[in-house]
Formats: sequence, structure tokens, C-alpha cells
Amino acid sequence: MKPVDFDYERPATLDAALKLLGREDLNAKPLAGSQSLGPMLNLRLVQPELLVDITAIPELASIREEKGFLVLGACVTHAALEDGGTPDPTRGVLARVAAGIAYRAVRNRGTVGGSLAHADPAADWVSVLAALGADVVVARTGGRRTVPAKDFIRGTFETALGPGELVVEIRIPALSANARWGYAKICRKAGEFSHATGVVLIDPARKFARAVIGAVSGPPIVVDDAKIAERDPGEAWVSALFAGTPLGDDAYQIRIHHVALKRAIAEARAP
Amino acid sequence: MAEGMGVGAAVRRREDERLLKGRGRFTGDIALVGMKDIALVRSPLAHARIRAIRVPPEHQGAVFTWADLAKGGVKPIRAVSGLPGFKISDQPPLADGKVRFVGEPVAACVGRTRAEAEDIAALVEIDFEELPVNADTLESARAPKSKIHDHWSDNLFLEADTVVGDIETIAASAPIKVSRQIRMARQCMVPLEGKGVVAVWERQAEQLTVHTSTQMPHIVRQGLAECLGVDQGLIRVIAPDVGGGFGWKGLLQAEEVIAAWLARALDHPVRWTEDRREHLVAAANAREHRYDITAYADATGRLLGLDARVLVDAGAYSAYPFSACLEVGQVGSILPGPYDFAHYRCHAVSVCTNKPPIVPYRGVARTGVCFAIEQIMDAIAGAVGREPHEVRLLNLVPPEKMPFVNVTKKHFDSGDYPESMRRAVAAIDLAGIRKRQKKGEADGRRIGLGLAIYCEQAGHGTAVYHGWGIPMVPGHELAQARITPDGGIEIRVGLQSHGQSMETTLAQVAHQVLGVDISKIKVVHGDTGLTPFSTGTWGSRAAVMGGGAVAAACKVLVERATKIGAHLLQAKPGDAKFENGFVRAGLGHVPLAEIARVWYRAPQLLPSDVDPGGLDVTAGYKPKSDQGTFSYASHAVVVAVDTETGAVEILDYVVVEDAGVMLNPMVVEGQVLGGIAQGIGTALYEEVPFDAEGQPLASTFADYLVPGFPEIPPIRIVHMTTPSPLTEFGQKGIGEGGAIAPPAAICNAINDALKPLGATLTDTPMSPKRVFAAIAAAVPPVGGPTNGRRVTPLGVHSHDDSLAAGNKP
Amino acid sequence: MKNLALGVNGKKIAASVEPRTHLGDFLREQQLLTATHLGCEHGVCGACTVLLDGRPVRSCITLAVACEGGQVTTLEGLVNDPVMIELREAFAAEHGLQCGFCTPGMLVSARDLVLRKPAADDRAVRIEMSGNLCRCTGYGGIVRAIRRVLDARKKTKT
Repeated sequence: MKPVDFDYERPATLDAALKLLGREDLNAKPLAGSQSLGPMLNLRLVQPELLVDITAIPELASIREEKGFLVLGACVTHAALEDGGTPDPTRGVLARVAAGIAYRAVRNRGTVGGSLAHADPAADWVSVLAALGADVVVARTGGRRTVPAKDFIRGTFETALGPGELVVEIRIPALSANARWGYAKICRKAGEFSHATGVVLIDPARKFARAVIGAVSGPPIVVDDAKIAERDPGEAWVSALFAGTPLGDDAYQIRIHHVALKRAIAEARAP
Repeated sequence: MAEGMGVGAAVRRREDERLLKGRGRFTGDIALVGMKDIALVRSPLAHARIRAIRVPPEHQGAVFTWADLAKGGVKPIRAVSGLPGFKISDQPPLADGKVRFVGEPVAACVGRTRAEAEDIAALVEIDFEELPVNADTLESARAPKSKIHDHWSDNLFLEADTVVGDIETIAASAPIKVSRQIRMARQCMVPLEGKGVVAVWERQAEQLTVHTSTQMPHIVRQGLAECLGVDQGLIRVIAPDVGGGFGWKGLLQAEEVIAAWLARALDHPVRWTEDRREHLVAAANAREHRYDITAYADATGRLLGLDARVLVDAGAYSAYPFSACLEVGQVGSILPGPYDFAHYRCHAVSVCTNKPPIVPYRGVARTGVCFAIEQIMDAIAGAVGREPHEVRLLNLVPPEKMPFVNVTKKHFDSGDYPESMRRAVAAIDLAGIRKRQKKGEADGRRIGLGLAIYCEQAGHGTAVYHGWGIPMVPGHELAQARITPDGGIEIRVGLQSHGQSMETTLAQVAHQVLGVDISKIKVVHGDTGLTPFSTGTWGSRAAVMGGGAVAAACKVLVERATKIGAHLLQAKPGDAKFENGFVRAGLGHVPLAEIARVWYRAPQLLPSDVDPGGLDVTAGYKPKSDQGTFSYASHAVVVAVDTETGAVEILDYVVVEDAGVMLNPMVVEGQVLGGIAQGIGTALYEEVPFDAEGQPLASTFADYLVPGFPEIPPIRIVHMTTPSPLTEFGQKGIGEGGAIAPPAAICNAINDALKPLGATLTDTPMSPKRVFAAIAAAVPPVGGPTNGRRVTPLGVHSHDDSLAAGNKP
Repeated sequence: MKNLALGVNGKKIAASVEPRTHLGDFLREQQLLTATHLGCEHGVCGACTVLLDGRPVRSCITLAVACEGGQVTTLEGLVNDPVMIELREAFAAEHGLQCGFCTPGMLVSARDLVLRKPAADDRAVRIEMSGNLCRCTGYGGIVRAIRRVLDARKKTKT
């Protein structure tokens, strides 16, 4: 289990990184904490010619607050969010979610941006950032654009990133003081990837109510409906939602996704 | 002094100092000058002919196939059995024209690093002609899609019948009949260290030295010599620190043959290290059993007879040395468990499939057998409307009948099986749990209590093994004991300790006999160049056989030392006695160190009739009967089942075990706990599923779930101590036991929890999805117990799955 | 090959590595520091856990080149560490190891836990340690060993 031979660069600036990633003559991939990419490399499921290590770029490691948003650099680690000590306008969501990702040694290196770009539908941030209404800022040489987190994952290991584009930051709207949230994932083992994720966020002051069902076969299912987020819509509702998808015929998958959602709703409702 | 360090003392381990500082030396830690790494090209297909193997021209000379090995005189691995009807399968270390499972080695690539060797392996192209795949056990047995070994008439290694008494008459008359179809999944053993080999041709010694991560260095040496066609004297096998085995390192491995041959052929050291993906794919080789089992009982639950048809999925080849017959042979003989009944019939089949060859995993056939019979005991209890432990107490061999010869002529040596069950029931608080069940749980989950009991034949001897005619029949176990010139003790055994703490426990045995402080007793093991022959560490035999052999050798040392000591004390040998490292006569005494000094350095002071063998003894040992010791244990577990998601949580786990006299209670408890953790893995988490094309579907730890800290609950151990009358100190084999009962106990607990819903689980692992499916398929019970009619499982099997169809009685 | 400068167990190391070489292989094959074991090479088993700049990381899914300028500490470098001395004693007393293969990673993670979560109860210990697999002990002895160190440190502080 050793990777194919590849080249490696560790640019100190975003421009330099984007230039390398924009090269069309070779297969270049960005490298952050390597906690998702590392196993893929060792298993030779990914065979790049060049890895561009983006962890030496200061702006990608920053956490800052900006006009009603928390802005996370793509290279902020799960452990940094778990440990707190940084501003958290999400009222504890980030620390709670981060602490449940894989294991401490993985959280110490794994990054929020890397997790999104890896695009495993079972990854926690994929569902949670969608539920929070976050935006993903992506950059390429000569331009930046913003993609809503809920639209960032296109499928299993597929994202909205175009050629030469890199996730540079995640902008998370601050929650109002009376916002409520709930989060549940169903795993067989601690630290395992989620088999079913439910997240809800109800923020009446911002007129925001969203329920997310994650760890499905593609992008998380996002429902902007206060009725759903406030009250368990029942298993039949989930079943109807899944109809026609790869999980549509699987009563167990319907069940655990409903349970995850139900538990998230219950948590959000709890005083 | 003796009680502090001898047999029975919880002495701290001698192994820990180096391992806790990272100073162990595992096979992968060995670096030799000029060493190169091997990567294997493995078959991506489960069944195919090889039309051609293409090696890029620039890598000719770095890639080796069966053609090269055959030209070099290498013979296939062949583990035969003398059992009538056993079909022989040759396993070439690299595929010879045909591949029979995904992961089978096809070519060996040599590079300066493993990465480079893998680069070369990626460039080797194999032209396959796909053959129909036999991935399913039943199908391969009953309606094979193709022949796996072309010269066979079918895909069966062996069919074995055990018939005692008259089951037909019992079947016709018994008031209670219960049946179950039961399946234990295929899994991996997952020692944390994979297998590894470092082989070097030592020019000066004219010796092939093979460092390998094995449980049985002497057997590997024997097998290597057979395959390479060389004298055993040419080969030295060294097992350094070995990172867990559990059976996976108890075989001659194709990769060992490949590496050994390459080291000599290339004249430079080579290394192969099993990586985790190789393990999960090519070593998915344990446990897969299917049972169609019926029990007959009277209206009180007294077991009258047992009738079973069993399929063991043995995979594609007969692994060396245990063969494809061992597991199936065991099933027939041990299915009756610790129970006393008279009528028994078992038809057991070892089925060849396009999967990795079966290798005996901790507990071996016992885990599957216990899973089957303990489900049946609960079914009987359900049918007669009694508590499961009551029905067991009715049927267990009682202590007053010990020693006892059971229905399959197993000689149970000692113990109080019913008392172990009673203590387990008390410790788990059955009455309290029943009350709690009535009340219900605040969180809506259902709780259930499950029991399982087994007795475990261990330290099997010649009598048990010779009938199978496999390449390894254990005889006398040997140990060498030597007093060094400065009065220290060296113990040499051909066993191999890979977590069992033998460097400590065998030193305790030597201390018990010699009285020398264990800091001065060195145990050498795992090296054919330094130790007497042994079949190795398997079958829970080391404490019984190794302990016995070390004691035997030390006793001869005592005799010899006493004679010399008496002479030095100017006493008659009969007037001197040996005590705690001193020879005493009258008021005088002489320490072992002085006796050693005289023997080695001042022989002029020795008596004229001294034994010229001196203070260096090799002695052999067999227990008084070599039918094996029978340790036993009752497991009791409480689970909570989330009926919404199917998730199972273990709330409490008690084991009441009897290991006889424990050489070191701390070590025994460690073995028991570790075994239970593996058994919990088997019960709830571990499985390598295969698709219809024989592709393994769990090739990383993301899909193959090994239980971690949160998944294993705190476990309470209650000891009972019934000394074995057969062994040196009364000890019994205990190494495997923990892994035997958890699947049965946990299954019974889940079924107890789900009883009001009418759901029954019969298969491992009892994953949330399986629990969910069982609940979804359940028919809630109506009315009371079901006397006199067939109770059918309500689990996940359909009835056309029955082993009865198309199977001989 | 890339040039690499980093600290290993307090020593400055200059080496030349293939970019694809992970930190575990770099330590074992090039630095001959074999306490760090490779149990899965995909970041799940924890046997390869080492400290990078004082924090536990998986050396099997961390590229050596990505440690440029960092400080790597393996179990060999923690022989005289006060917490590690306590842990070794506790692991031996509580039979927290059998084959010893998972032990180096286990100790590195346990040390981090003791320092980072001194108030952890047994459940928290099990969750925090869930990234390290052991196939021999059933974990009970390891939990007891960590408990022993946590309790002893609490006592000396009060």
C-alpha cells in the first residue's frame, strides 16, 4: 500500500498554488491535511503527478469574523474547531461536530476544506455546512466565486470545483441568539463515517429553517421548510423523498435516515 | 519466595520493558544489507485461467512467476489428510495456470523499496480467461457452477458423518422438536501486525534464514523444506516479536515459500510485508459455517438427541498444516458441547469455494459450534417455557459424573459445569433483569439477557490428531533447561509467544521447580536454530504442553544438581534435598551457582559417577492422557436493542471461567478479555461479504469493522478453579476460550430482547441491518410455548436455503 | 527526491526523500526508528501514531515532505517523558499490552489524552482512545492503566 510516484510542491502563496493547480500538462491535486487523500494515495485510488501542499499559505489557515459571518480558511483543522478558543457565532455547532469526526490524531491534521473537497457524502461537514447555509469560496488563477455549501457536493467524490479551482474559505453565517439546532449521526463504531446524518437549524430571526439528510448516495438532501425542521415528518415522508434514488428501495436506509433526522429535530426542539 | 513468582502468581510480564519502550523487534523491523522488497501481483478474479503473464521488458529479472519457481524446483503446498474421501488440492505459491480466489498471488515483483516493487507489480499484465465462480457455500456444494480443482468430481474436500445412538427413533417419539438454520460469517483474524517475512541466504553458514511472523517456526521450517525440496538442516526459521496471530500465523504461507526461494535464487535478502488490504482480501479465511440443526427433547427440556447438517466453507485450498479437514472434523466431534445426551447425528461437509483457504482462527470450530448449540438450547427453553439456564442445568454434565466420556467419546477431565452456569446467572442478576424487562426502558430500547456455555478441549495430543492424518501430529512437547556457568537459567522451547506472555509464565514454571529468581531465568523461543522441535503455539496448548515440558526439564536439572550438591556437601544423594535454588544436607547448603561453577569450571570436584549430560537437559512431556484438557466457561450478557435502528449495545458482560490452576492469573484474565473482544467482533461487527463473482466487499477498515475501545464493554470475570487431573500443575488450556461464546451469548441476548416482537436472529454479524431485517420479518408470537411442533426460525433465511435439500442424511 | 529538514526526537535531521514516502516509512526505513508500527496504512488503526509539533498524528497518512520544518517525536523520543514513565508503569501493572504491536501508538495517544483531558471518566477515555485498535487485550487493561495515571495525577495536584 504505497502511493505512485509523484512530485510535490509547497508554495507559500495562494497565487503560486493556483498557478501550479492550473497546469494543464499534468494531473495536479491540492494537499492539505492528507487525512482523506492519504488513504486514497496509499491505496492507489488516486494517482496524481503533482501534489500541491497548501498548508504553508497563511490565509488558508485563518479563522476570522466578518460582518455576520465566520470565515474559516480551507486549512483550518477539525481539532482547532473542537478545541474552540476561537470565535464561534454558530453557538457550538462547529465544536460539537468537529469533536465527532474520526479520531483525535486525524482531527489534528484533517481540514474543513479538505473534507469538503474530498466529497464523501458521509462526511460531517458536507451535511452540517449545508444545514448552516454556509458558502464555499473557491479560487483559480484570475478569479474567485462562491458556491453554496449545499450545492458544492455533486455526487460521491464529485464537487462543483472546476479545473484549477481550489477551496479557499468557508463562510458561515452567524446564528441569531435564539437559533436552535440539532445534529445526529448514526454510526456502528465511534469515529466511523456516518451511515445516516440528520441536521436541522431553525433561526426564526433570520427566517431560516432548514433540515438536512446526509450520508446519502449523493449530495445531502436539503429541505427549507419550517414545518419539517420543527416536527418529525415521519418515515413515510423520508421514504417519499428517497423514492427513485439508489436508497429508495432500502427500508433500512430509509429507517436510519429518518431516525437521524428525527433525533436532530428532537434535539433542536429540546429546551 | 516461591509464592511470589511461581505458578499462580500474578507476576508482571518480562516482555513489557522492551515493548513499552518501542524496543521490540518485529519482522518488519529487521533491516539487512542489500535487502529488497517484494510486492505481489494478486489475482483480481476469483476463478480464471491464466492465458499469459506479460512483464514489461525493462522489468524482466524483477518479476517472478510459477514458471520460475517450478524451474527452481519449488513444489506446491500440499496439506493432505488421511481421512477417507479427502480430496487433495495442490496450492502453488504462485498461481499455476489458474487462479482460485481474489488475492491469490500470481507474480512476485522485487524492488529496492516496497513502493518501487508495487510500481513494477502495477505494470504486470495478466491475460485471464474467466471461469464461473463458486462464491456461495451452499451452491458450490450442491450446484457448483464449475469445478475448482479440475481433477475432482465435485467441490467437496470431505464429507464426514458422526452417528451415535438412534436419532430416527428419538425423532419419531420426542415431544419437543426445535430447529434452526444458522450461519456464521466469513471474517478475518486481523492481528495488528500483518504477516511478514525477511529471508536471507547466509553464505557463510550455508543456511537459508527465514525471519517470519509465525506461531509455528518448526512447522514452517518443515513445510519450507518440503516445498523447496531441500533438507531441513539448510533452513533456520526465526520468529522474532510477533504482533498477534490468532491462527493467521499458524500456517505455512505461500509468501514464505516465495520469499525463501527468492532469497536463495537472487542471493540477496528479501522482505515481504503483508499490508492491511492484502490481509482483508487474501486472508478473509475464518469462521464460515452453516448449520441446519434440530434438537429433540422431552417436555421438561431434557435433551434427547441432536441432528445436524453442517457446511464449512473451506475456501479454495487445503492450508498447511491444518488442512481443509480440521475444522469440519472438529465440528462433528464437538457439536454436542458440554451436554449429556445419547443420540447424535452430524453430517459435516468441507466445501471448496473460490475464496481464501480456511485457517483455524482462535476458538476454531468451537465458535461456530457454540453459536449453533447454544441457540438450540434457547430454542428448547422457549419451546418448553422455561428459563434458558434451567434447561442448561438439566442437560450439563454434572460434576459427580466427572471424568466423563461424552457422546462423541470426548474425555471431559474435570469441572463443575452447572455451578459455572449458576454463578453466571447470579452475577448477571437474572431476576433483576427480568424485572427490568417487565418495566421497560425509559429510552424505549429493549433489553435482553443471553447465556452461553462451552467446554473447550485444549492442548490436544497425539490421540486427537493422528486420526486426521494431516502434516502435523503433536507428540511429546520438548523443552531444554540449562544452568549457565554463573547459575542463571535458560529455558528453550520451540513454542512461539506472540502476546501469550510465555517469557513470563514459563519462567514462573521454571522458578516453581528451581526456586531461582525469575529475573535470572531467560526463556528463549521461536527460533528453530536455538530450540527443540515443537509444533508451535496453537490449540491453547502452550501452558499445558510447554508448562509441562519446562517443569519436566527443570526436574531433571534438580536431580542432577542435587547429586552434585550432595557430593560437595559430603552427604549421600539420598540425604540431600533441593529447595529454592539450594541443595541442602544436614546443616550445610550449596547454591545452584556454586554447583554450576563446579560443573563447568571445576569438574575435578564432581563425583565420579556424575551424569555426563550435566546441567543441560532436554526433556519431553505429555499429559497423563493426551485427550486434552477441558476448560469451560459460562458467558452471560445483557444487551439493549434499539428496535428502530437495530443498534445493539452491550450493557453488562460476565464470564465465569475455569482454567484449572492458573500459571499467572493476570495473563489468564488478559487472554479471556482479549478473546471476548474478538468474539464480540464476530458477533456484532466483523464480516467479509463476497459478491456473486467472489469479490470481497470489505477490503479496508472502513468496511471491515474491528471493535475499538467504545465497542467493548467492561467485562467482569469470575474464576473457578478445578485443577485438571491430567497436567503438571492442574492447568488447562485457556488461550482461545474467550472467543468461543460471545456470538452465542449475544445472539441469545438479542433474541431475548426481541422475543415479544417474535423476531429471531441466527446469523453473524448481528449488524443493525440484520437486526432491523429480523424485526421487519417478525411475526409476533401468539399464545404460549409450542409443544410438539416444529418451531421455525423467523430470521433472515428463506427455506430453500435449507442444507437438508440435496444433502445426504 | 526532495530535501527535507525537520526535527526528530529533538535532533535536526536533513534527509532526501521521495515525496510519496509517508512519515511512518521515513521514520522506520530511513531513520531506523522502528517503534512506530504500521498496522493499516489507511489511518484507522492508530499503531503509527506519533507526535508532530506536539500533537498526535497518523504517520501513515502524513507525507514526510509535509513535515518540513516540523518537530516529530516518536515513542523512542519519549522514553524519559514524565507522563510516559507513568504510563509505562501503569500499562505493565494493568496488563495493558500483550503482543505489543499496537502499544507505541497506544502510548502516544494515551499521553495526549492524559495531558489534554485530565478529568476524563472511563467512558471519555474509551471515546478519546477510539482511534487506536488493539486486537489482543480487549482494551480493559489499557483503560485501567490510563485510569491509574489520571487518578494519580489528580491526587498529586490536590
